[in-house]
Amino acid sequence: MNETAIPIAFNPADYFTYVLHQEIRNAGMPGGYGGFALELGGEPDLERIQQRLDLLVEQFPRASARLEQRGKRFAWMPTGRRIPLERHHCPHGEGAGAGLRIAVEIFNQPVPSPDSLPLRLHWIAAGGGGLLLLNWMHPLLDARGAKILLDFLCSGQPGKFKESPPLIGEKLAQWSWWKKIGLFLKARRHNHAAISLDSCLPTAMEEGPQCLRLRVRRYSKEESRRIASLAQQYTGLAGKTLYTLGCLMRAMELEGPPVAKAGYCIPYAFNLRRQNAPTPVFGNHVSCLFARATREQARQRKGLFAHLLAQYRQTVQEELDIAYLPLMWLGQWLSPARYAKRLRQQRSGGELSSVWFSDIGELRFGQEGFLGVQVSGMFHLCWMTLPPGLALLAGQLDGQTTLSYSYLHPAVDEAWLDRLMAGMDAELLETEA
Amino acid sequence: MKEQLKQFIFSELVYHEAPESFGEEGDLLEAGLDSMGIMRLIMFAEKEFGVTLPDTEIEPDNVRSLNALEKWIRQAPRA
Repeated sequence: MNETAIPIAFNPADYFTYVLHQEIRNAGMPGGYGGFALELGGEPDLERIQQRLDLLVEQFPRASARLEQRGKRFAWMPTGRRIPLERHHCPHGEGAGAGLRIAVEIFNQPVPSPDSLPLRLHWIAAGGGGLLLLNWMHPLLDARGAKILLDFLCSGQPGKFKESPPLIGEKLAQWSWWKKIGLFLKARRHNHAAISLDSCLPTAMEEGPQCLRLRVRRYSKEESRRIASLAQQYTGLAGKTLYTLGCLMRAMELEGPPVAKAGYCIPYAFNLRRQNAPTPVFGNHVSCLFARATREQARQRKGLFAHLLAQYRQTVQEELDIAYLPLMWLGQWLSPARYAKRLRQQRSGGELSSVWFSDIGELRFGQEGFLGVQVSGMFHLCWMTLPPGLALLAGQLDGQTTLSYSYLHPAVDEAWLDRLMAGMDAELLETEA
Repeated sequence: MKEQLKQFIFSELVYHEAPESFGEEGDLLEAGLDSMGIMRLIMFAEKEFGVTLPDTEIEPDNVRSLNALEKWIRQAPRA
């Protein structure tokens, strides 16, 4: 333990993700861990990666900190521990899916102790190449931060990545008390509306423990171009994420949700970082948005996209995207259990989220690749609460779309998921299922 | 107008190492302006310049550069 270490307090969004991490742990699963995997065409310089990991701990002591409760609040206590690059080998003769299988096994390891590193990096060698898997505890950083961290590991200028204060704190400091109160009331009204539409769910099961499984759907360049063109046609340039969300609602609706209620509510993160910014790396810098539609709206393709776009426009116009920040700030003083109830529970007592969703956005490694090695693919994975037991993480690598479906087994019926994924293909590409 | 747009884009939406050197014809989409950022930019422009920018006109050609944005906003109906 580093005796002179200074604790790094949670920001409001770190606590928000910690509460969900606890909910997952309380159900007997490892917790709110996220995974970001790059598929590499060759073996990168592993010694160089280890040197970068050492530099990471030096520049960002939080990277290997331990989580500590200090009174009612939580903080990261730097330990100075080294993060070793963990090496794995796929057995000879196993197919292309072996790396993915090992990645999922890593995620299914028993519940880590409080002393476990909050961030781990794995190299899974398979054939001539392999998978570089970043596995992290969500209160430490968000998915955009994970992408920046990967940039740090392969950047020629690691010095440009710096610790910086939480963006939520910066935003809140800019506003007067009246503005904060106004936004708080607005967010509460919005929340009341959100919890009144009972959400359809992918599973009726409510108890763990469960194991995590993953299905990855990669679209070809041509398919990806078609998806982008249809997204532009239906939701415009400002609504690419909404197109994926709308297709998911429709795929669920057309397949028939295992728990059929009034409609769909899909929360998703709004990242406060500027695009391409090398900082902040650590911490969560997100607010929360909701895509909602009734089952009837979900049945009408064109009408659904128009509805989601209008809903999003109204959200930004009325500042509902940032209205959650004062709410999250106040949430810090609630116990994890009380906060979780407010985050997850409908007025009727059901689960708010029909599915967990995140659009990681566009990644470009280009000719340089990752430390000179070609990046041929990527996928993401994450644990989630039960219900909903299903998370869809979307992303694009050099223009090519990948959808990663993480789900809990046996809670989610795999035959239903197969049909949902086929329906998703049909919706995204506007073809017959 | 272009200065206000530039200030908003580079302080809120997109990181650029030297925003002052970003030209009026510079490609904002290549610079990192994404779909969520575009909606925030549109809401900023509507509020700041008192115009209505219809969803049907949110096209790459209208948001690709500061010059294109200015032209689009100047032609838009008053709110």
